[in-house]
Amino acid sequence: MVRYTEAEIIVANAAREIEDGDIVVIGQGIPMAAGVLAKATHAPNCVILTEAGMVDIDPFRNLLHIADPTCTRGYAYSCDMVDVFTTIVNRGLVDVTFLGVGQIDRYGNMNSTVFGDYDDFRMRMMGAGGAPEFFGYARKAVLTMRGGKFVEKVDYVSSPGYLEGYDARDKAGFPPGSGPKVVYGTKGVFHFEAESKEIYLNGLFPGHSIEEVRAEVPWELKVADDLQELPPPTQEEVDLIREFAPEISAGRKLQVELSIPRILNILSERQA
Amino acid sequence: MLRKWMEKDKRMSAREAVERFVGDGDSMVIANCLYSTPYALLHEVMRQRRRDLTVFQQGGIDELDQLILGKCVSKLIIAYNFRIAGERIETVLERALRRGEVEIEDYSNYTLLAMLQAGAMGYPFLPVMSGIRESDVCRVERFCAGQKFGEVECPFTGEKVMVVGGRNPDVAVLHVQRADMSGNAQLWGALINTKWACLASDRVIVSCEQIVEEDVVRSSPHLTIVPSFRVCAVVEEPWGAHPSELLGFYDYDMVYRSLLFMQTMSEEGGQAFMDEWVYGVENRQEYLQHYADRFGLKYLNELKARSYLSVPADYGASWRRAWDDDDVSFNFQMTRDEFLQALEEKGGFVDG
Repeated sequence: MVRYTEAEIIVANAAREIEDGDIVVIGQGIPMAAGVLAKATHAPNCVILTEAGMVDIDPFRNLLHIADPTCTRGYAYSCDMVDVFTTIVNRGLVDVTFLGVGQIDRYGNMNSTVFGDYDDFRMRMMGAGGAPEFFGYARKAVLTMRGGKFVEKVDYVSSPGYLEGYDARDKAGFPPGSGPKVVYGTKGVFHFEAESKEIYLNGLFPGHSIEEVRAEVPWELKVADDLQELPPPTQEEVDLIREFAPEISAGRKLQVELSIPRILNILSERQA
Repeated sequence: MLRKWMEKDKRMSAREAVERFVGDGDSMVIANCLYSTPYALLHEVMRQRRRDLTVFQQGGIDELDQLILGKCVSKLIIAYNFRIAGERIETVLERALRRGEVEIEDYSNYTLLAMLQAGAMGYPFLPVMSGIRESDVCRVERFCAGQKFGEVECPFTGEKVMVVGGRNPDVAVLHVQRADMSGNAQLWGALINTKWACLASDRVIVSCEQIVEEDVVRSSPHLTIVPSFRVCAVVEEPWGAHPSELLGFYDYDMVYRSLLFMQTMSEEGGQAFMDEWVYGVENRQEYLQHYADRFGLKYLNELKARSYLSVPADYGASWRRAWDDDDVSFNFQMTRDEFLQALEEKGGFVDG
């Protein structure tokens, strides 16, 4: 039996969203681990790039940020952010993009900017970054959500999803077929209905129930008739993830807990 | 008129560069985003207590926190700023916004950079991907209200196209691997926003790990990210991007960054950081000495890059000149005397 962490099952399942030969735009963290895992297993010919202009990287450890070139021994094409967004994203060449979620509503509209009122906020998140354009123009946007929230209405639309649902997105002029496709939460995976574009639960990770998921969603969440049980990661996948990014396996909380003693040691060692 | 910077030797200290070329109330763009953050120059801006800057922040990790702690920033045009802390911890940026010390205008990565691209190209505006129209990035405007996004009709298709206006910051600061003394600056690694941020700006201050001979640049012009005539100052500053990373030189310093993060979780801690690492040192050399005293050089040495040399691009050619060593023209197969004779007879000389 494979023993795995919450992050590892998300990484392993998210990796399956990438097909061999895909052009994939990814940021640091769980998405990059998914990309690297896909490249190491079923999609050796996928091209991984970041919006910083590092194209076809082959990361041997997790990136600190999207412009971290110390994670890879060279890459095939060095361009800049304008090149990525215009000649790659806007031309429709991105097959898959992964994005993190702060808040998301039932039609996949996403907030990564601010919780609460824009001026009288509860919290400022990292900001829109590259998300609106990736979300808007990639063939398939895959969202990963740990700590993110489902809400009736997002406090700020950083990245428009299906707007009010149905054909609203097409009417607004987004490329046909674009928009969020899959959301990975900590308990399962969500897809969007073909016609209404409303999000629904499509699969559960082992050990979780529909009721648990519904408790996190403030509306009557729809559930697929043929709800899947998502496979746990294989031993090979778990080993690869831990080899590449043990901190991803650990999750943020444990990562902080494990790294603080080292930092304190260094400080006290020198001050002694 | 955009000023050309033609001095042959622009070498100076960070202090002099900031004294001369960064003023209170300027708009400033940090021309390396995430990668190779120009901390040496930014710390000098903080030490000289520049005030009321409008900062274009494409994406950053902790440099913006420091500029805000230094009370340098009044307006922020931003796409992304890293956050590790959860909701319970108030970040430096949140504190400044709540107190009304800093105003903010949110863009996306591409739309922010497109403003600088338009500015660099001398265009009044540039189209951006129109999906931004449906976002609050477009709808929510603050101090850029009325100037944030526009919509034009394509004269060829009639399609409605979203545009951003060109922006020209007063000054760009950046850190690169190497430059010559006239300011040809060479950067490799994540090129991200650097070219457009520099070329949009009126003044460009370059710091570099090494000042190199002109011939180094001339044999590798594909690495030059901004040409000398756009650069007003060149500062040699080893470890000038620490604690961020620079290919060929050093990795990011996670331990130092964690320390910074833990300190800036409180206002007092943040000020203590500034007192110790910014105000408490005179310059980058003292900063490095302080690092060595505090943590030991061992930790700095652990960050040093191993070498992975780019295969040189051969910029050679036959270098054949119009006249060979025997004074014979390759194209005419005649001596210089024979050529001058032909010119005399058939060249249509005009007496002047």
